[in-house]
Amino acid sequence: MLLSLNWLKDFVPFAGDVEDLAHRLTMVGLEVEEIASPFAYLETVVVGKVVECKPHPKSDHLSLCKVDVGTEVLPIVCGAPNVAQDQLVPVALIGTTLPSGLTIKKAKLRGELSVGMICSAQELELGEDSSGIWVLNQEFSNLKVGDNLIDALGLDRYVLDIGITPNRADCLSVLGLAREVAVLYSLPLQLPCVEVKESTEEIDYEIEIKAPEDCYLYQARLLTDCTLKESPAWLRFRLLTSGIRPINNIVDVTNYVMLELGQPLHSFDRKLLAGKKIQVDLAREGQEFTTLDGKKRKLLRSDLLIWDAEKPVALAGVMGGENSEINENSTEVLLECAVFNPVTIRKTARRLGLSSESSYRFERGIDQLLSPFALERATHLLQQLTQARVLRGVARKETKPYKERIITFRSGKVSELLGIEISEEFCSKTLESLGCGLQPGAEKWLVTPPSYRQDLEREVDLIEEVGRIYGLDRIPATLPKVSKSLKVEKEDWFQFLSKIKHWAKGVGLNEAINYSFVAEETLDLLQKEDKEQRVYILNPLSEEQNVLRTNLLAGILNTVRVNFGRENRDLRLFEVAKTFFLDKEQETLCREEHRLALLLTGSREGNFWPYSADKKVDYLDLKGLVEHLAQVFGCQDLEFRLVENKDFYLKPWVKVFQQGEEIGFLGLVEEEIADRFEANQELWYADLNLEKIFACYQQKRYSFQELPKFPGTTRDITLVCPLSLKLVEVLEVISELKVALLEEVRVIDIFYPQGKAEKNVTLRLFYRSKDKSLKDKEVNKIHDKIGKTLLDKLDVRFP
Amino acid sequence: MSLTTFLAELDGLIQELEKDLDKASSISQLEEVRIRYLSRKGRLAEVMKGLPKLAPEERPEAGRKANEIKEKLSSLWEAKKRFFEQKEKEERLRDFDPTLPGRIPPVGTLHPITLVIEEVSAIFTSLGFEVVLGPEVETDFYNFEALNIPPEHPARDMQDSLYITDKTLLRTHTSPLQVRTMLAKKPPVAAIAPGKVYRRDSDLTHSPMFHQIEGFLVDKKVTMADLRGTLTLFLHRVFGSETRVRFRPSFFPFTEPSAEVDISCVMCGGKGKVAGKTCRVCKETGWVEILGCGMIDPAVFKMVNYDPEEYSGFAFGLGVERIAMLKYSIGDLRIFFDNNLRFLKQFV
Ligand SMILES: [Zn+2]
Repeated sequence: MLLSLNWLKDFVPFAGDVEDLAHRLTMVGLEVEEIASPFAYLETVVVGKVVECKPHPKSDHLSLCKVDVGTEVLPIVCGAPNVAQDQLVPVALIGTTLPSGLTIKKAKLRGELSVGMICSAQELELGEDSSGIWVLNQEFSNLKVGDNLIDALGLDRYVLDIGITPNRADCLSVLGLAREVAVLYSLPLQLPCVEVKESTEEIDYEIEIKAPEDCYLYQARLLTDCTLKESPAWLRFRLLTSGIRPINNIVDVTNYVMLELGQPLHSFDRKLLAGKKIQVDLAREGQEFTTLDGKKRKLLRSDLLIWDAEKPVALAGVMGGENSEINENSTEVLLECAVFNPVTIRKTARRLGLSSESSYRFERGIDQLLSPFALERATHLLQQLTQARVLRGVARKETKPYKERIITFRSGKVSELLGIEISEEFCSKTLESLGCGLQPGAEKWLVTPPSYRQDLEREVDLIEEVGRIYGLDRIPATLPKVSKSLKVEKEDWFQFLSKIKHWAKGVGLNEAINYSFVAEETLDLLQKEDKEQRVYILNPLSEEQNVLRTNLLAGILNTVRVNFGRENRDLRLFEVAKTFFLDKEQETLCREEHRLALLLTGSREGNFWPYSADKKVDYLDLKGLVEHLAQVFGCQDLEFRLVENKDFYLKPWVKVFQQGEEIGFLGLVEEEIADRFEANQELWYADLNLEKIFACYQQKRYSFQELPKFPGTTRDITLVCPLSLKLVEVLEVISELKVALLEEVRVIDIFYPQGKAEKNVTLRLFYRSKDKSLKDKEVNKIHDKIGKTLLDKLDVRFP
Repeated sequence: MSLTTFLAELDGLIQELEKDLDKASSISQLEEVRIRYLSRKGRLAEVMKGLPKLAPEERPEAGRKANEIKEKLSSLWEAKKRFFEQKEKEERLRDFDPTLPGRIPPVGTLHPITLVIEEVSAIFTSLGFEVVLGPEVETDFYNFEALNIPPEHPARDMQDSLYITDKTLLRTHTSPLQVRTMLAKKPPVAAIAPGKVYRRDSDLTHSPMFHQIEGFLVDKKVTMADLRGTLTLFLHRVFGSETRVRFRPSFFPFTEPSAEVDISCVMCGGKGKVAGKTCRVCKETGWVEILGCGMIDPAVFKMVNYDPEEYSGFAFGLGVERIAMLKYSIGDLRIFFDNNLRFLKQFV
């Protein structure tokens, strides 16, 4: 809300400093976001008097003027057809920057010096007229040559831009803000003039409210013989200052009163209304209606319309109809001043995307008791400005009169909640100054808030008011003395997630955080199978963000693209985030899974000496990370199984099982997918279910194993294997033998002889006995047996 | 050949060797000297060829002398060799370059958002708050209605939502955790709830996804002064104990009274100017908005079956990105979710 300081002063004799005002308003919850000087560019635009004006010798449309600007007489070349001697005109001095961006400089126009510029109203953004220069003495009196235009025209030097919170509907008007200023500075409040001269003829309009739940009060005045024209400067300026474009004197008055008193009004061209009846009724389902912006709107049964005797003429509280709007031929005005149900107005305005200054105020609630006053104020102004004849009386129907609320208030509760001693006297004084009626009692007071404070409904609201005026910033800092149980969960989920992140950091991964939503296109590209489980956003900001991730890769690929685009091609990333799946069983209709994603790509160790850029990360690097994580978090007996699925985004795709249960998967991102994200190199990706890992982690126990007392011994064995043979098959054969003395088996080499479709796998077997030193003969016997079994059971041979 | 000549030749070898050793300036030259004197075809061997030509009775003495000379020659040579080796060792030490790049294991980092969440959580857990987490897709009930924001209430404009269905949405704040936690527990409760939140808003200063931390405490006789004390302690830990804290009235549907908390500007220390120029962080006001808070509204207590006559409590909500931006001097909100490695690696 933009507050003109001059306008404010119509209501309260405020004479203080604007900075102080802004500070005090901010500190009572009316946050001044900016102290604006919207007319600062007029500081160097002054009232000048044309003392001489003759034609330019070398031009038929330019004039050579001598203009007295108070301190000196300036030569100015002027191109306006209406310039003449003795006019008082606005002169932009050298150095002025006009709203258009034009900066006035000394210039020579066809050989003649010009120092400054005589402006039109439009060039100064103070009017619509651009046909010629603005002749000030035709519109203003008491002008002094040399005065700058801000002072000369009574414009605002300062305008406060105030953020009004949704609860303070009362402050969406100059009057409302003036009430607060009056309290803050202990100033008297002065209401504006509402004097109306009524004619003897009586208004003969019937009002019928057919939707009493949606319209509480409807009043109308009828004015005839109106002269439609541009509003006077003072009114135009106030609207401009408040951010509203002046249109004509009738429309401007309705806007003016809305800004001044917070009550939106609407003016109909009475001659365009059928019959002498106004009806307030809901729209027919599917009914079409053309609003005054020329747009055809499709309505629902829940939208409220104003009808004349035959047809709808306005979308109540939101926007008037094209069929009855004020136009250049209007002479008769039906002036509407109504109170509607805030929810009705809000629903319509939101659905149609038609939030207006009017609907904004209706949505937040109108002071119903002030409404008749606002009608009189608008009528008064219309009569003044259009010389209208005002018919006697008001057509009026009220279906739901304003009801006073009475709140029980215990002043002791103020200190109890705020934690600071505030006297009863301060409470009563404050509540009264805010317009509340007070009926003190021994323990409880009965408080009646004013009709304009619809936000005051409960005791706590009054406590807030007392605190607000007292100053919340005066509340001291104490620490709560809480009698809280020391009992806490052994380890909560948050701590676990934190440990996972620190593990990832520790193994040299960089944490990424991606949006939870991605483009449906991306999910389609990765995997079509999950389509039925996806969670879509009904009203996405863009198609790029229309569905929640069913896998983390969909987001991480964006990170990959960003980095590849910036020449970061060696990535070690991790992300801890949720994936989302439809699930009717959940109260949120959505199952959320916390997952850990790892992504490796590019150089394994580094591109520079002593490392080699040729060494790229591969499957074993990624698998190693998964195994490291498993060890740290207590997942045992991992199995890695190759999965065949042509449609999956990883190839190879390896699932990880922990004691038979799937805990995640890893593999290489399909080349075409990586290419789509401008990543033309191998992307190794792992995706793990953190809930499953948490389950392992909670089972993790330390248990000491006796250290070996006797030395062990090793034997190597090399097997020539077919390329398709998996290592695990070899290890399983060995473990099935259940050799008690075999402590461990490790791979020490895998060699691919050139030109042969086989591989040589060398294993080292560690033998040890718990209670003696082993003899060679004994070990050899066991080792040979293992070798023979391998040859028997597998398609392998010794080299 | 006489014994005298033979012995003189042997003796002469010593002087010759010493001369050659003096001349030798490298290990390879030293090796040449060894070959010249001590190899099978070297000078000593040559002299020794004269031994069989001596009279038999002279041979033992000649032999003894020859051995003596041989040992002498060897030890002279060895000494010189040790000298060279020592010298070489010293040179190697002198040439050792401690400034070559080390083999640094990859350096991992946590996202600045995580850093802030962990720092804030650590402070509050040390005060006895527990950390609670909740769903990111919420029902209208938990996200709005239970927080005293009925349908069609203008306060819904404060948070433009991303809907999943007409009854579920991406949570617009972490405040639903107030309701979820209080429904599950009886007072006293003290908890904080960090996490992702979502709004239908995207421009220079708004991201459709961002992070919040909600905090709340309910017990008997909790006051707004307690709220101020708790937040002041917290803000002093995060931004330094010289930070000034300001409460100004505001509005949130689920707290009453509600306040906006400002701290003295972290950039200019509240002076409004940096090196004579307008401070870009506080725009010369000296204050920056840091969080919203208030006393939990009785309407919320009713929703969770707490008796507002018996209990009172406070709640606050802060923007993690906002704190990260102030704390780490980050000017652009969008940089957080680009995950540019050059950005991420600054938070080692
Ligand atoms: Zn600053």
